[in-house]
Amino acid sequence: MERSWWWKAVLYGCAVILACLYLVPTVVPEEKRPAFFKDHFTKRIQLGLDLQGGLHLVYEVNIDKAVSSKVDRLSNDIEDTIKKKTADVTVAREGRDDMVVSFKNPAGLANVDADLLKPYRHDLDEVSRDAAAGTVRLRYDPDRVAEVEELALRQAIETIRGRVDKFGVAEPTIIKKGTDIVVELPGLKQSDFERIKSIIGRTAQLEFKIVDDGTEYMKKLAASLPKEGPIKAEPETWTEKHSGAQHEDVFLRSKDRQGLEKFVAGLAGELAVPPDRELALEEISPRESGEAAPDKFYRTYLLKKRAGVTGEYLAMADATWDEMGRPEVSFTMNRQGSDMMEKLTGENVGRKMAIVLDDKITSAPVIESKIGERGRITMGGYGDPFKLQQEVKDLVAVLRSGALPAPLKKSFETQVGATMGQDSIDKAKFSMLIGAVAVVLFMLIYYRMAGFIANLAMVLNMLFMVAILAAFEASLTLPGIAGLVLTIGMAVDSNIIIYERIREELRQGKSPRTAVDAGFQRAFWTVFDAHVTNFVAGIVLYSYGSGPIRGFAVTLLVGIVSNLLTSVWISRWMFDLIVGRRGSVPVTLSI
Amino acid sequence: MAANQKFFEVIKPGIDLDFIGTQKYWIGTSITLLLVTFLMLPINAYVIKSRGHALNWGVDFRGGTEIVVDFSKPVDAGAIRAALEAKGFENPDVVKYGSAMERGSSNAFMIRLGAVSVMSPEQAKKVEVALARVGDAILKKFEFSEGGDKVYIRFDKAVDPTALAAALRVAGTNTTDKGVQQFGPPQDHTYEATLVGMESEVRAALDAKLGAGTVTSIPQVSSVGAKAGKELQLDGIRALLGAILLIVVYIAFRFDFRYGPGTIVALLHDALLTVGAFAITYKEFSLTTLAAILTIIGYSMSDTIVVFDRIRENASRYRDRAFDRVVNHAINETLSRTILTSATVFFVTLAMNIFGSGVIRDFAFAMNVGVIVGTYSSIFIASPILIWLNEKYVAAQKRQAARPARRPVRREEEEPVET
Repeated sequence: MERSWWWKAVLYGCAVILACLYLVPTVVPEEKRPAFFKDHFTKRIQLGLDLQGGLHLVYEVNIDKAVSSKVDRLSNDIEDTIKKKTADVTVAREGRDDMVVSFKNPAGLANVDADLLKPYRHDLDEVSRDAAAGTVRLRYDPDRVAEVEELALRQAIETIRGRVDKFGVAEPTIIKKGTDIVVELPGLKQSDFERIKSIIGRTAQLEFKIVDDGTEYMKKLAASLPKEGPIKAEPETWTEKHSGAQHEDVFLRSKDRQGLEKFVAGLAGELAVPPDRELALEEISPRESGEAAPDKFYRTYLLKKRAGVTGEYLAMADATWDEMGRPEVSFTMNRQGSDMMEKLTGENVGRKMAIVLDDKITSAPVIESKIGERGRITMGGYGDPFKLQQEVKDLVAVLRSGALPAPLKKSFETQVGATMGQDSIDKAKFSMLIGAVAVVLFMLIYYRMAGFIANLAMVLNMLFMVAILAAFEASLTLPGIAGLVLTIGMAVDSNIIIYERIREELRQGKSPRTAVDAGFQRAFWTVFDAHVTNFVAGIVLYSYGSGPIRGFAVTLLVGIVSNLLTSVWISRWMFDLIVGRRGSVPVTLSI
Repeated sequence: MAANQKFFEVIKPGIDLDFIGTQKYWIGTSITLLLVTFLMLPINAYVIKSRGHALNWGVDFRGGTEIVVDFSKPVDAGAIRAALEAKGFENPDVVKYGSAMERGSSNAFMIRLGAVSVMSPEQAKKVEVALARVGDAILKKFEFSEGGDKVYIRFDKAVDPTALAAALRVAGTNTTDKGVQQFGPPQDHTYEATLVGMESEVRAALDAKLGAGTVTSIPQVSSVGAKAGKELQLDGIRALLGAILLIVVYIAFRFDFRYGPGTIVALLHDALLTVGAFAITYKEFSLTTLAAILTIIGYSMSDTIVVFDRIRENASRYRDRAFDRVVNHAINETLSRTILTSATVFFVTLAMNIFGSGVIRDFAFAMNVGVIVGTYSSIFIASPILIWLNEKYVAAQKRQAARPARRPVRREEEEPVET
């Protein structure tokens, strides 16, 4: 035997062992797995939604509705302002983006001047002005529409994540795909589908609420806590910048959000939250963000229930820097909003104002002075500047899109019950078995020894495929199984092409060894080209498809690659075992 | 020494069928089948009343809702349809669900509805009238877009969301728990109502007509908005053409340009005839079917490559022979592998078609058809076009050569073959 054959033997052997190792987490149940695997091989094939059961939702952000209601509001605002000067004005809305301001007396047009439009310069463009007819057409700025879309998408993903987390779904996927949001919730109970759908689909609300500090209620609540429980009470103090007055407060903190939420929801009797107050949570992560952060915790704020101002009154929000060069958020309120904000903040200087997105506190800065049209939110904490910068960006996104509540519109929905999935798996397995048996028998009868090699290569192909899928933690979908079955049929194709070629060479009178050599060599490019075209189709499929179809494309692509390996190189290596030995070349080849 | 070795053969090595000589019959057959396909589409859409669409688009393309319902006892499809129509669902499509093996025993049905939301435009008008007054608030604006799952309702003063939800229920429209919330600034008095899912209404309708508890479970629901469906259709066609283009570019690069056009025609032929099979049988044409067609294109191409490879090899070996004879010979030589490779895939997909369920079956049916037409097209479509192009090419070369201009340098295997 040539030395290179042994090298290959070692290489292929290692590949098989590695593949088997990768398969263990998928095949062996967790409790029976040796400790070795728990440390090194944990990745396993996930079942797709269609097999495991669950909910797959695709939402698009309804920009049209958001923009149209914003322009509605702007047109009311403008009408009110002009009416203060002259009653002779009508503002008509046209389409999604346009409003037409018209005066019976064309001279009234002078009212619509740069001064009037100044507060709206970010939002509205003047499209045309007809002095004779006394009309002017204003249009919502297209750049703002694009901006709204992007921000609304970001905010929507953020809110959906928050809502889903609250529900305690094991492994939710919430991703952006183009302008859509794809939500996958595997393993969800069917009875929960309706509830979670309605929760996810709701439009996010942005509110500013005042934090009620130093209350007797919080002290009472803190005193009632068990000493060694998971929920701790913690005092905090801060000083008013201008008057120097001290503020004292107590809050509850816990690492376990669900525990804290449950505790808050369970408060009753003496300790019930006052009817005009609410206890809301904020996630605090002093250092790293993300689930793994060790010192992340949740804290409470006692809020006045009635929202002082809502996000719709915001005109603009931007990331800027304070005198110290620290990042901060500056925002501008619209006319109506600035009056309300002035009242709210004027009464509560020194207190904290919570910015609440969808019942979750995003930030709760101290009100340092009365805020009118313009306000600034300084980011607290001494975290690293990059993180601070990121926080500022996030808050700006929340504020800006909060100014325009963009409803979510559901465009796709698939819900699969768990039993359905199991039934599909069973049937697919059975059809796979039948197909595989048919192919294996055919190959054995038709090509005998060589058929056996092809079958062995096919089994290895399957092994490698599943191992690769496991290594990538790919999810197996129903079409994905179809891809696996299909690969059984296609796996032997390359071998058939090669074997037919070898037979041809043999018929021309060549010796088995030269025939095998020539067969593999000549058929290689045919097989290679065939694989490439299949691969191209697979890639197109992957980029076009969504969800289950992608699963199919992935199995197809993986199958093509591992098929090339097993049916060309590994079966060649097995042939070498028969014909490659020096001296004892068989006279006939079992093919 | 081994020349007289016997093999188990289905197709004997000496086979010499005249494929090219009889090509006009084969091409004629293909054209006829393509015509049938193209005729079938308008016939389905306009002539056959029970069909009504060019293809039996699945919900992914058509938009709508597909619900699988499991019943506790045998139920008649007609009764289900009547129960749904009574509730106001238009043209419900009701078919038995499950694999061919268990059709007899299972009580599952697949219900397909054109609507995505429980509220039809007519119903929306009724609800709007019913909501004219809620408490002492007067309705100012009622916004509902067809196919949406939300309604926006504006009043002249604040309304309690629970009262609004109750008013909606009285009007015959159910919202989800906490399904009504304020939308926009408080003084807008606008409320967003999220409607219940289709499956709840379908279950209610069926239980009401067929007796409570008849519906045991609803194991699967999928719904697609009409707009999204249209986009998917376009994307699908784009993906199909993109795949064909990429494959042809690869072939032109690996072989030479004469081999390109034949493959385009062959691939289009395969895709169209598979669609034709779905038009004739009126089986559901879904996203999975499209995935199958893309797979078929890749697969049919590998079949064509086997033949083309041999043509190229023989063309440089037998340069004294007429090109069409070389092609015919190559087809015969590769006939056994063409048929064997197709057969293995065909049998595997046939097993899926018989024993699988749901999407697997649809996928397998498409593959069954595709494997047959794919094999056929590599022999009878791609090769004749190659011969025809080669003739044109050779004629052009001769004209070139007649002039004293420089001849382009070519690799030997690409040398044109005299006809």
